[in-house]
Amino acid sequence: MTATSPAVAASNSLTRGLRVIGLAVGAILIYLLVLWRALEFASELTAGNTMQGSLIAALTRFDDVGNAYLAQALQQTVNALSIGAIYALIALGYTMVYGIIELINFAHGDIFMIGAMLAVVFLGGLLHQQEAVNNIPILIALILGALVFAMPIVGLINVFIERTVYRPLRNAPRLAPLITAVGVSFILQNIVLTIAGSGDRASPQIFPLDAQIPFGGAEISILSIFIFALSLGLMLGLQNFVGRSRMGRAMRATAQDQSAASLMGVDLNQTIALTFLLGGMLAGAAGVAWGLRFGFVRFDLGFNSGLKAFTAAVLGGIGNISGAVLGGFIIGFIENFASSLGFSRWSEFLVFMVLTFVLIFKPSGILGQLTGDRA
Amino acid sequence: MKFAKLAVVGAALTLVVGACGSSTAAAPTAIKIAIELPLQGSDKAASDPIIKGIRLALKQAGGAAGGYTITIPDSAIFDDALASTGAHDPQTGANNMTKIVSDEQYMAVIGPLNSGVAKAQIPISNASGLLQCSPANTNTDLTKGAPAAAIRTKPNNYVRVVTTDDIQGPAAALYIYNTLKKTSVYIIDDTQTFGKGVADSFEAAFKAAGGTVVKHDAAPQTTQDYVSIMTAAKALNPQAIYFGGVTASGGARILLAAAQVGLGSIPFVGPDGINDGSGATANSFLNLAGAKAANSFSTLAGPGTFDGKAKFDADYKAEYGIDSTGYAGQGFACAQIVLDAIGRAGAGKPASYAALKEAVRAAATDTGHTYKTIVGDVTFDKNGDTSQLIVSIYSFDPAGASGKGDWKFESQLDAAKK
Repeated sequence: MTATSPAVAASNSLTRGLRVIGLAVGAILIYLLVLWRALEFASELTAGNTMQGSLIAALTRFDDVGNAYLAQALQQTVNALSIGAIYALIALGYTMVYGIIELINFAHGDIFMIGAMLAVVFLGGLLHQQEAVNNIPILIALILGALVFAMPIVGLINVFIERTVYRPLRNAPRLAPLITAVGVSFILQNIVLTIAGSGDRASPQIFPLDAQIPFGGAEISILSIFIFALSLGLMLGLQNFVGRSRMGRAMRATAQDQSAASLMGVDLNQTIALTFLLGGMLAGAAGVAWGLRFGFVRFDLGFNSGLKAFTAAVLGGIGNISGAVLGGFIIGFIENFASSLGFSRWSEFLVFMVLTFVLIFKPSGILGQLTGDRA
Repeated sequence: MKFAKLAVVGAALTLVVGACGSSTAAAPTAIKIAIELPLQGSDKAASDPIIKGIRLALKQAGGAAGGYTITIPDSAIFDDALASTGAHDPQTGANNMTKIVSDEQYMAVIGPLNSGVAKAQIPISNASGLLQCSPANTNTDLTKGAPAAAIRTKPNNYVRVVTTDDIQGPAAALYIYNTLKKTSVYIIDDTQTFGKGVADSFEAAFKAAGGTVVKHDAAPQTTQDYVSIMTAAKALNPQAIYFGGVTASGGARILLAAAQVGLGSIPFVGPDGINDGSGATANSFLNLAGAKAANSFSTLAGPGTFDGKAKFDADYKAEYGIDSTGYAGQGFACAQIVLDAIGRAGAGKPASYAALKEAVRAAATDTGHTYKTIVGDVTFDKNGDTSQLIVSIYSFDPAGASGKGDWKFESQLDAAKK
C-alpha cells in the first residue's frame, strides 16, 4: 500500500473537514426550516384550523406572520446548539471509555455534576463573583479560570476512580465493573449530597444574559453561541489529539486491540488513565458550561443529563468519537424541538423513540461502532 | 408435655390480655404533639419557620394544657422529604403518618407542608381519629367536594389555618390584573397536586377578570432545561408570568430561565410555594434567584398583617435571633389550636389515651368554637376550613435581610368581605 504524502493527507483531511462542516451547516439550516414551519403549523392548529389546512398553511405561508416564527425558530436553534454541545461533551467521555475498555461508565454523568459544582465553588465560593460581568477581558479570564480549576480536578477524580475501582476489575466478568460503576455513581452523588445538601444551588451566571445579537427580529443569545464555540473548540482539540499525537495513536491502538497494542509497546495503564483524564476534563468543561447557562446545580444533575448523554453516545455509535458528538447534538435538537412546540414533557419519549428506531435498523448506531477486535 | 405447652400458651395469653388491659386502663398524663414536615432541600426553608412557630407557642403556653404535660421531643418531628429528590414525598409522608398514629401518646399532628403529602396522609389520620392541623396546605380538594369525602371514612379530623387555593389563585389574578395592570399572562405549573390546583384556579379567575392567558404550560419537577420552554413563552409576549408550584419543584429555575430569554423584567408571580424565606435562607426561592427576583411577587394564604404581629415578630426574634418568615405565624396558630383543643378535651377527664385522642379531635373540629389565635379569630367549618379567607401579597424588597433581598408585605385581600 503506498503511503500518502503529507500534502495529500493534509488536503484529504481538509476536504473531509469541509465536508463535515458543510453537512453540519446544512443540517442546522434544515432544522431551522423544519422548526419554523412546525411553529407555523402548531399555531394554525391552535387557531382552530384543520390538520390539512394547517399543513398547507405551514407549507405555503411565508408572509410577515411567518417571520415571527422564523425569529423564534432561530432562537431555539441556537438554544439547541448549546444544549447539544453540552450533551456532546459528556457523551464523548462515555464513548471513549467504552471504546477503550468496553465499560459503560455510569459514574460519568456524576463527574459532569461535580464539574458544575466546582464551577460554583470557584466562582461563587472562592471569588464571590455572583453577578454578571460586563468587562470582556475579566469575563474571559474568569471563565478560563473556572475551566482551568474544574477541568483538571474532574479529570483527576476520573483517573483516581479508574485507578482504584476499575483497574482491579479489568479482567473480571463484564457485570462486575458495570455494577461497580453504578455504585461509584451513587457514591459520588451521596458525597455531594452530604456536602452540598439536596436542594438546588445557585450557580453564578457571570456571562451577561442580556448579551444578545438582534437578527431578523430575533435575539440570539451570545452565551449559547459561546458555549457552542467553546465545546467545538474542545472537541476539535480532542480530535486533533487523538488523531495526530503519539498518545492519541496509542489510545486508538488500545481501543482496537489491547493485546496487540501492548505488544507494540503501548503502556496500557497509562493510556487508559489518559482516556479517563480526557473524558473527565471534557465533562468538567460541560459542567462549567451548564452552570453558566442554567444558573443552578443539583446533586442529582448527573443522572438525567448523564442518561441523555449516554443515549447520545449509543445513538451515534458507541466507541466512535464523531458518533458521540453527532448523537449529542441530535439529542439536543430533539429535546429542543419538543420544548419549542410546547410538548416538553414528551421530549424524553421522543429521544428514546428515535434511539429505538435507529437501533432497530442500525444496531451499531448511526456512525457505527468502533470497539476492539475480537480475534 | 402437653400440659406444659398449655401452661406456656396460657401464661402468654394472660400477659397479652394483661398488657392490653393495662394500656387502655391508664389515664393519660404526658402527651406529645407530632410535627410532620419536609426537612430537606428547598422545602426545608419553608418548614423551619413553622417548627419554630410551633415550639414558641408551646413554650409560651408553658408546655401544658388541660392538666397534661405536652412535649414535642426530637423524635416527634417527622421528615417527609426524600434525600434522593431533595423534596417532599407523599409516600414517605404516609409512612410517617402510620408511625404517628400507632403511638398512642400523640394527641395531634401539625403538618404537612405540601398538599400532595396531605392527600396521602388524611386517609390514615382520619381512620385513626387523630387531629391533624396543617399550617400550609392550600389545595381545595383536601376539604371540599367529592375528593375530600373520598379520603375520609370517619368524622373529620383535619383542620387548616390557611385558606384554600380557590381563593389564593384568584387573589393573585386580581392583583396582577387590577394593581399591576397586566392583561396577558403565561402560566406554568409543576404538574403536582398543589401547583396544578392553584394554577388552574388562577387561570379561571384571570380569564373571568377579563385577562388573557397566552399559554398554560406544565413542566414536572425533574425538568432541568427550562430555557427552551421559556423561549417559546417569550414568543407569545406575555406581560406577566404565573408559576404554580413550590421552589423545590422548579420555581427558581423557571425564573432564571425567564431572565435568560429576556422575560426578566415582567412580573413573576407565584403562590405561597415560593414565599419561603429571604435571600439569606439557604435554598429558598430568593436565595436561588438572587437579584433576578427583582420583579417577583408571591402570595401567602393567610394574613400578612394582623393585630399582634409586632409582638409575635418580637417574641420570635428574641427566641431565635432571626426574623419570622413564611408560615411561622400559621405554625404558631396551629399549635395554639391544638393546645386549646387539648385543654377543652381534658376538662372531661377522659379515662384513656384513646378517649382523650377522640375528645381532642371532637373539640378541635367543633364548628361552634372560635379560637383566638395569633393570626386572628378562627372558626372551622364542617370541612375543617378556616373562616379567615385572607390572602396576602408580597413583593420583592432588595434591601431586605441586610441587602440579600426579602419578601415585603404589600396588601391583603379578604375574600369574606366581598
